[in-house]
Amino acid sequence: MSAIFKSPPILLTALVIFAGGLSLFFFSSQSLRLDEAQSLWQTSRAPVDIATIVAKDVHVPLYHFLLYGWRLLFGGGVETARMLSLLFYLLSIPALYALGKLAYNKEAGLFAAALFAISPFMNWYGNEIRMYTLFTLLVILNQYFFIKLWKSARHTDSASSGAALYAVTAILGMYSHYFFFLVLAGQAVFYFLRRQIFPRGTLRKLITSWMLVALALLPWGYYVYSIGEVQNQEPLLQAPTSIILFNAFSQFLFGFQADHINTVFLSLWPIAVILAFLALRKRHGGISPETEYFFLTVMLSTALAFGISLTFHPVFTSRYLILAVPSLYLLVTSVFSLYPERAARFARGAALFVMAATLIIELFSPTTPVKENYREAAQYLTAHAGGADVILLSAPFTIYPIEYYYRGAAPIRTLPLWNRYAFGPIPPFIPDKFPGEVAQATQANQNAWILLSYDQGYQEDIRLYFDTHYQRTDERVFSPGLTLYKYKLRYDTPLSERSKKSIEKSLGGDVPKFAEQILGLRTF
Amino acid sequence: MNNQYDELPDPKKAFLNTDSPRGLLALNAIIAAIYFYVLVFHFTPGNPILFTLLVIGQIFNLWQVFTFIYTVWDTSYEAPRNPAYHAAVDVFITVAGEPTALVRETVRAAVAMRHPAKRVYILNDGYVTKKENWRDMEALAALEGVQCITRTVPGGAKAGNINNALRLTSSPLVVIFDADHVPHPDFLEKTVPYFADPKVGFVQTPQFYKNFAQNYLTQGAWEQQELFFGPICKGKNRLNSTIMCGTNMVLRREALFAVGGMCTESITEDFVTGMFMHEKGYKSVYHGEVLAEGLAPEDFLSYTRQQFRWARGCLDAIFRYNPIFRSGLTFAQRIQYLSSASFFLSGSIVLMHSILPIIFLYTGAVPVIISGMLLTAVFLPYIFLTLYAIQRSSNFTFTFPSLALAMGAFTIQLKALYGALLRQKTSFTVTPKEAVTGNFVRLASVHIIYIAVAVFGVLVAFAREGLSASLVNNLAWVIFSVAIFIPFIRASLPPKKAAALSVPEKERAEKQAYERHF
Repeated sequence: MSAIFKSPPILLTALVIFAGGLSLFFFSSQSLRLDEAQSLWQTSRAPVDIATIVAKDVHVPLYHFLLYGWRLLFGGGVETARMLSLLFYLLSIPALYALGKLAYNKEAGLFAAALFAISPFMNWYGNEIRMYTLFTLLVILNQYFFIKLWKSARHTDSASSGAALYAVTAILGMYSHYFFFLVLAGQAVFYFLRRQIFPRGTLRKLITSWMLVALALLPWGYYVYSIGEVQNQEPLLQAPTSIILFNAFSQFLFGFQADHINTVFLSLWPIAVILAFLALRKRHGGISPETEYFFLTVMLSTALAFGISLTFHPVFTSRYLILAVPSLYLLVTSVFSLYPERAARFARGAALFVMAATLIIELFSPTTPVKENYREAAQYLTAHAGGADVILLSAPFTIYPIEYYYRGAAPIRTLPLWNRYAFGPIPPFIPDKFPGEVAQATQANQNAWILLSYDQGYQEDIRLYFDTHYQRTDERVFSPGLTLYKYKLRYDTPLSERSKKSIEKSLGGDVPKFAEQILGLRTF
Repeated sequence: MNNQYDELPDPKKAFLNTDSPRGLLALNAIIAAIYFYVLVFHFTPGNPILFTLLVIGQIFNLWQVFTFIYTVWDTSYEAPRNPAYHAAVDVFITVAGEPTALVRETVRAAVAMRHPAKRVYILNDGYVTKKENWRDMEALAALEGVQCITRTVPGGAKAGNINNALRLTSSPLVVIFDADHVPHPDFLEKTVPYFADPKVGFVQTPQFYKNFAQNYLTQGAWEQQELFFGPICKGKNRLNSTIMCGTNMVLRREALFAVGGMCTESITEDFVTGMFMHEKGYKSVYHGEVLAEGLAPEDFLSYTRQQFRWARGCLDAIFRYNPIFRSGLTFAQRIQYLSSASFFLSGSIVLMHSILPIIFLYTGAVPVIISGMLLTAVFLPYIFLTLYAIQRSSNFTFTFPSLALAMGAFTIQLKALYGALLRQKTSFTVTPKEAVTGNFVRLASVHIIYIAVAVFGVLVAFAREGLSASLVNNLAWVIFSVAIFIPFIRASLPPKKAAALSVPEKERAEKQAYERHF
């Protein structure tokens, strides 16, 4: 190992090749997921429209514009779009090494980079057509330049350029995700707690940077304000609980696991106490400022997101808090470095082994909860849903990934009914109006194929309604939480195409109208 | 891979460079209270007996946290002293069969102490304790030009030896050193000036172990001392509640006489005598500077004997001289004496915490019915903050080996508790100053049996309920207990001389101990 540590470029290259290869051969061929479909749909429009849609969707547009340009240059396929996220992820690996090296030493940087490269959580988002890897890369770079503010105090030139780059990464970071403000908040708190370690003039640089960030955000803020409407098309997030809080940490470390595996990990929490006990060692000067900073970044961002979710609006989700992952891995690195040498080696090996194992499980297990097999569901519908059938999707926003893959004859509608091109948010589920919406959605169709996913709190109501009004004839699960039901809507024998044409020719009208007027048949 | 902190701090100074992070301590107290509230009142009790045990354990833990915070809230106090003050001093070196060479070093150092009026005495208990070398002490005294008081009538152990010498000497101040505690030349210059205040009854200085780098055990023993002689003693100094520790101390003869001399009825004569002095209104001072250097027990048998003596003596103090009910002590002194003595009750709590998961494994019974992760959400901040507060206040000298040795000694504390409750007779045993060789793994047999019982219990629980969340969680707690017991078991094994410490640790420690400081 020591020989490898002497050559970080070799190890870093190996890590990048590993993560890239894993993505190319395994992750990138997965089905398009809901969020990704939204990104593709949003970036298939003109830049002005992209800005409008992203603003309404409570996001910031940097990633969407980059993806727009990327697709123009390299094509519009799913795999191509995923390459952009992968690029940011792969760049983050050496960036994290640089941050770890700056904060501690090159060994620490390499270990943190290794955790990052085999992290099931990061590998998942390294292949998602969303802004999260761009966000993470900018967080790492911004933290690098923040730490440089006190680390390179003696070198005036590098301190000045570092401050400028700090400001630039902060501006780009704020345009990559709103949650970047948590990074800046953590830095502000850290500065005021440990201002004695910063050289004179740092406060001025920081305030200037933060003012530049605010100024840079002003146009976007004005634009969002001028639109005057927020239309979040993302799934409704749950109000946070203690389980969701610890799930986030479990996901950061062990990725997305099926419930029974995740329960095992969460139940092992007393091991964290042992890890803390083992870190009790004599040392000069206590805990280093870098460790304090990473600890603060992790805890403050998590606590703030949790608090905001409890008091204002649920925003607590592990993917938004991806900003804490680099700090968390560096914190783990720092804690292990406090152990006696043999214990440290064992802890590092065990951490890498467990993460690698959970990466494999996440990759190959069909029960991985975040897997959204819309591709197979759409292909199944293409093959089985006929022209007289209707496909009903709930939650409504799941129309994005389905329509990306679906090539069948049956029309697609959503429950509740939603016209995404119309002004306003997705309509809510109103039980009294629901029968009417079903009638409008199904009209004269023979069968309804109901694909339920992303439960927004009314999925069970929909299923129960159809179960009590129609006959269920098929049920199929494509991935965790993605279930297709088939219901027979009517029992009259549909006319053959030949008979239809014959009647239409003789009556000069369409068959459903004829059936309704003459035969008294209702479509449901 | 290099560790983050390659250099160790100066062992004689680091533990005294204490800190009182009040915001952190206050936060720690709040979080501890929240944790207690959530655990006791938020969840549905399970088995009533286990729940009661758990609540008692948590009350004790809360007591320890709060009294620790109270103690270290301010560790900056320094008692006034008058450098111009001088008084005649009798220096007592208590001996009971220790190697002559070791005593010689102490005697020579005592003679070398700078002070205008001092007399050095070897208090030779070798005759009454039937040590072969008791005559050597008289010869040594003659050779070094000091006096030797050889006791011929036994009784009272070390306290009796000192009281005997008190009758034969007359200086207003008395200094006591154990045979292995070698004073620095400036010991008296630094300590005597406190006695300018006529109410000062005794001055205590740290008990530094110069052989701390000898092996894993001496290192752990010293690290336990660091927490006590660092923030705890400095905090007690502020509260006029310094604990008398039996060596490296200066006493006012008048104060000793006021309490009838050193207490001979307790095996921790120093602890009780100090409390009696406080009762009589005398002040105590802790001088936070290493002014003498002694030896830690080098073998596991000696270590456990020392721990038993301290535990038994302090528990006796609770049951026979309970500081809460003694008139003359201030509120702070009552709390401080009780908190110090009650530390040795923690063995019962360690046992309780260790055995709860075992009970679950075999029976499925739990003290509280917990759903969700709320307990985790309050417990982890509580335990992490507590550890960090201890680390900060002790200048990061508190270590896992010292914690593990203290917790692993729960069997010794339970034995002491049993003896104290039944008022069994026990004798004062001088901690050997030379390593006793042998395999003492039998002293850790309870810990080893625990591991075996736990392994079988996991199988029983798995057969009963499969890989349930409760099983995994209790398994994690068992692993926690085993991780705590392993250093204790390791210390009980015959030492591998070179491998007693890991090589880099040993090199660093030895380098510091022998090259830089001696």
